[in-house]
Amino acid sequence: MSGGLARFRGRNNEGVLAVVLLLLVVGMSVANPAFFSLSTGFSILRGSIVPLVFALGVLLVIISGGIDVSFAAIAVFAAYTTVKVAGSTALPLGVLGAFGLALVIGALLGLVNGLVIARFRLPTLIVTLGTQGIFKGVLLTYVGARFIADLPDSMAGLSTTNLLTIGSGQGRAQLHVLVLPAIALAVLLAWMLRRTMFGRSIYAIGGDQEAARRAGIRVMRTQVWVFALVGMMAAAGGMFHMIMGRSANPQDLVGGELDIIAAVVLGGASIFGGRGSVLGTVLGVLLVQVINNSLILVGVPSAWQRTAVGVLLIVGVGVQALAARRSARKVHANVIDQQEVAA
Amino acid sequence: MSRTDQTPPQAVADGGRAPGSLLSRVQADRSVTRMVVLVVVAFAFFAVLNPRVFLSSINLQNIAISSPEIGVLALAMMLAMLTGGIDLSLVSIANLSAITISTLFTAVGENDPALAQSLAPLFVLAGIGVGLLGGLVNGFLVSRVGITPILATLGTMQAFNGLAVVWTGGTVLYGSPDSLTSLGQTAIAGVPVLFVVLLVTAAVVAVVVNRTPIGRKVQLQGANPVAARYSGIDSRQVLMRTYLISGALGGLAGVLFLSRNPTASADYGASYVLLVIVIAVLGGTNPNGGFATVTGVVLATLTLQIVASGFTAIRLSSYQYAIAQGAILIAVMVIDQVRWRRRPPRRRAGTSQASTPA
Repeated sequence: MSGGLARFRGRNNEGVLAVVLLLLVVGMSVANPAFFSLSTGFSILRGSIVPLVFALGVLLVIISGGIDVSFAAIAVFAAYTTVKVAGSTALPLGVLGAFGLALVIGALLGLVNGLVIARFRLPTLIVTLGTQGIFKGVLLTYVGARFIADLPDSMAGLSTTNLLTIGSGQGRAQLHVLVLPAIALAVLLAWMLRRTMFGRSIYAIGGDQEAARRAGIRVMRTQVWVFALVGMMAAAGGMFHMIMGRSANPQDLVGGELDIIAAVVLGGASIFGGRGSVLGTVLGVLLVQVINNSLILVGVPSAWQRTAVGVLLIVGVGVQALAARRSARKVHANVIDQQEVAA
Repeated sequence: MSRTDQTPPQAVADGGRAPGSLLSRVQADRSVTRMVVLVVVAFAFFAVLNPRVFLSSINLQNIAISSPEIGVLALAMMLAMLTGGIDLSLVSIANLSAITISTLFTAVGENDPALAQSLAPLFVLAGIGVGLLGGLVNGFLVSRVGITPILATLGTMQAFNGLAVVWTGGTVLYGSPDSLTSLGQTAIAGVPVLFVVLLVTAAVVAVVVNRTPIGRKVQLQGANPVAARYSGIDSRQVLMRTYLISGALGGLAGVLFLSRNPTASADYGASYVLLVIVIAVLGGTNPNGGFATVTGVVLATLTLQIVASGFTAIRLSSYQYAIAQGAILIAVMVIDQVRWRRRPPRRRAGTSQASTPA
């Protein structure tokens, strides 16, 4: 593989993903010119905000070698509780106060996951399955199970705020203001994963926990922090979801975890840990959104969406698995190649 | 736990046994003992709290009728976990099977109702066949393509579920052979036939796992894939067969869905995916593979059904049941882990080669 091509392809096949995404957009635009418009683009971006925030959280856990299926429960727990508190108490919480409260709740719930997992060295899938049930049950039993149709004023104001409005009437394209924090989060996370000690520790733990321990990384502490961070990101995602939906439904989100995990894995993150990138995750989330959006436009009934995402996941992961098998064979023959991959 | 502590003398006594099988016997004893205790405790707890409702024959019948479909799915999950994998697509497969049977019955019944009734066994076979087909897809993806089971079955779960949604148009299908419905309602000497189906299935799975070459290979594959390969085990074939069997069990669960309730839909039992994992792990299945007991899984199924109906009897909500499920799962895992750590070093060293504390 030549240097330039290899660099474009990226460490986790980000380049391939970008090409697929581009081909899909071009193909869709040819098939249905209505697709290629600013309003479609903005609505895809809008639809990607919440999945992206969740997916970035899941990415952290997956890089660290685990998996988290409780983030949706944390998201709805934190956001619904916040809305309820902000709506019922007399003291004005404000947007920042509300987000602060949600983040604290999210961090606490994430800490529960992290402490149980790190302290007892239990499998992350099983523990988060358990806490998912607990969080959801506690929310619906003790916090509330009622649909809240109107958000507190401070949050409701954010619901209708757009960053950009282009055109007018039918062809109006609006870019929701919440894309800003989502992009900021992605940039911040990319920086953290690449440039900070903490970020490198996450990769190290996911790559080989024992090696990381011997290299002096505090595995337990890093794991706990990862889960607390994921809890906070989930809480933020939950708040975004409720703000954009302009209501708080305690039954929302839970059940959609696997779609998010699928997007992260499509984005090149290895389920075994140690590999994955923010760019890949962003592309994975966009790809799923574009596919969901375009199926409707080409006249495929929305019932096929689930199948399409499932097949996409199988194809994406299958291609990676076959490629990995081929390169594993090549590594035996060519050690230099291996060094290049590792570099 | 006195039984477990007595094992070292036993170990000396059957010195001729391979360490692997000894270890699995120790673990089997432990998880089965634990499950027996849990079943009894759960039962006694609710019987004391609300004996009038909980001990009523209707409630006991309900436990026995609602357990089989979950139990069969849990056995299928156990098999997948035994190889170190997981099968998230089981419930989707079961729904596809139920939908197939219902559709076939309705299609034939439109022209000739009597014929449709008499073809019931054939339809049931078709349902299980659909399960096998689903298992074939999973097995192909896991064993030939080499996709991690959790991702492969995550994908097929979505795909199968999507197919079911497309097929039914998102609606609930009505109609199933009368013989199936009556099967769901009859009882032999007070024991519902469906429960007998669960017991027979469990017995067959137990024989396959413990007494046949394929069962041994499945266990070895899960315990140590590398050793399995060097022992000349064709891991592709083992994985393929495992997912075929669990797919067929998924199909059977679909038949049980229909016999309990003559309707089929794409999103029946959505909460079963997690429940079934909880049951398998609670029943002593090591999620990393290599170890599981059929008895433990059946008892775990009963425990959770007892807790579910007990919660209803003492008027707790299904949300509180979700809390209990999660708490039980984590508590069991934590207790197991703490016990593994406390084991005296000498014994730990003796068994460490085959042990992978979950």
